[in-house]
Amino acid sequence: MEEKKSFGAAALEFASNNIVPILFVVICAVCIPLSGFSVSYLLNEIVTRMGRNIFLILCLLIPIMAGMGLNFAMTLGAMAGEIALIFVADWQIWGIPGVVLAMILQIPFSILLGLLCGSILNRAKGREMITSYIISFFLNGLYQLVVLFMMGPIIPIKHFSIKLPRGYGIRNTVSLLNMRQCLDNVFAVTIGGVKIPVLTFLIIAVLCLFIVWFRKTKLGQDMRAVGQDMEVARDAGIHVERTRLISIVISTVMAGFGMIIYLQNMGNIATYSSHSQIGMFCIAALLVGGASVDRASIGNVFLGVILFHTMFIVAPRAGAAITGDSMIGEYFRVFCSYGVITIALVMYETKKRRNKSKTAQELARAAAEETAKEAAK
Amino acid sequence: MKNGKALFARAAFVLVLLAIGGVMMVIGRGHTVYLDNKKLEYNGQTYGTPYKVEVYVNGEKVAKLYDRERGMATCIGQTFRMTLDITQEKGGDKTTQSYTIQLPYNMDGVIINLPAYLAGLGEDAYLSEFIPSPEEAVPEETETPGGEEGFEMPSMEESTEMPSST
Repeated sequence: MEEKKSFGAAALEFASNNIVPILFVVICAVCIPLSGFSVSYLLNEIVTRMGRNIFLILCLLIPIMAGMGLNFAMTLGAMAGEIALIFVADWQIWGIPGVVLAMILQIPFSILLGLLCGSILNRAKGREMITSYIISFFLNGLYQLVVLFMMGPIIPIKHFSIKLPRGYGIRNTVSLLNMRQCLDNVFAVTIGGVKIPVLTFLIIAVLCLFIVWFRKTKLGQDMRAVGQDMEVARDAGIHVERTRLISIVISTVMAGFGMIIYLQNMGNIATYSSHSQIGMFCIAALLVGGASVDRASIGNVFLGVILFHTMFIVAPRAGAAITGDSMIGEYFRVFCSYGVITIALVMYETKKRRNKSKTAQELARAAAEETAKEAAK
Repeated sequence: MKNGKALFARAAFVLVLLAIGGVMMVIGRGHTVYLDNKKLEYNGQTYGTPYKVEVYVNGEKVAKLYDRERGMATCIGQTFRMTLDITQEKGGDKTTQSYTIQLPYNMDGVIINLPAYLAGLGEDAYLSEFIPSPEEAVPEETETPGGEEGFEMPSMEESTEMPSST
């Protein structure tokens, strides 16, 4: 009886810890048959989206390791990637050389933006997520100033196809047709109608290995120590501010690489909007995979991408099948992505408060026992 | 000493990145090559067109050109290789020949006049820059598409519009 009860308690605890992934598994299980998509189509779409998004989501892991929560300022890296791609498109560098050049070009921009963001976040300890969210808005304005007004008259851009008709500023859409899926098509294999972008997955595998290796390095251990307790880490001789700064810089540079991989897959840049939503949806995907504000793993990234994007693919058609109106499905998937972030943040905060109050109660009980013992003496 | 080594390693890393970037700029420079099968007057001499030219680039047929027709191919790098199947007269035999042309780095669009090239004339005769007129080059400005993944929410002003689907 006791064993049964403990199993039930364990199951309940597992469910409460993984409520978001379980919810998404249920949604996908309901929506997939309703959508009527073939298995090969679904797999093809999911594999494409995995190649497109995983690198971007992996860049969120390092700030979480350093206790800085979900890095909403990953959009800064995305902006750096976009600026690099605009230059590469203007210089007419095509194919894989274009992607490599853009990756190299974005590094200094990302480092600068990462340093700026990291130093601000060091001044807002304990409020990193909201601060990074607002930084992303602030720098989006700066990005628009640069791209809309400085590119052309100050920063040389010569191509008509990139510049706005007025002679300065960049168009809403910059075509990357000449580098579209150039990474994805290298060594690509098709199995049962599913195209697998082998090179992209190899790059992702290298990043995963880097993250695993990085956790074991001195810097990685320092980050984990800082993430667990900043004061203890400082007492242990770890330079907390520097460690946090490095984590944000690494995340921003990786986000820049990820954005370039993402955009080469898409084949165009939505100059003024591509980056603005990328942070939100990468974070949503990570949370869907079962991660939380203070704990995330590579497994969460993969599970999150699969579940989140399966929902994105099937929701409109399932919505159309249920209500006769695909618009419902469209709204549903956007609602889900924002909703899941809210749920995850609320759950994290609730759990944190519960643990805090539990610890306080235990301390109070211990103190009371101590006092009682002393009184008895 | 340790700092000096670290600084040297960082400088070397930056130099390697710059070198890779430089190489990418050269080997990745894209060109659009326009192939003209048009009669050419050059130094008082007329160079006539073959009846038909079939152009293959990387084993793929990119154009089949009769008199006064233009084909198009793309090329990454400065070396453009093509194979031409040339039929001089209608119903005549086809001759196949491969050619390699060095393209100038600074030209995005390059026009190659095939009769002049096949006649062995100089670069100034067969090669010229394609300069699009601004009207041609500027497509209609469109609304910011965004949301290729169906991510974006409609803004307050356009709340009646739907986010685009995948």
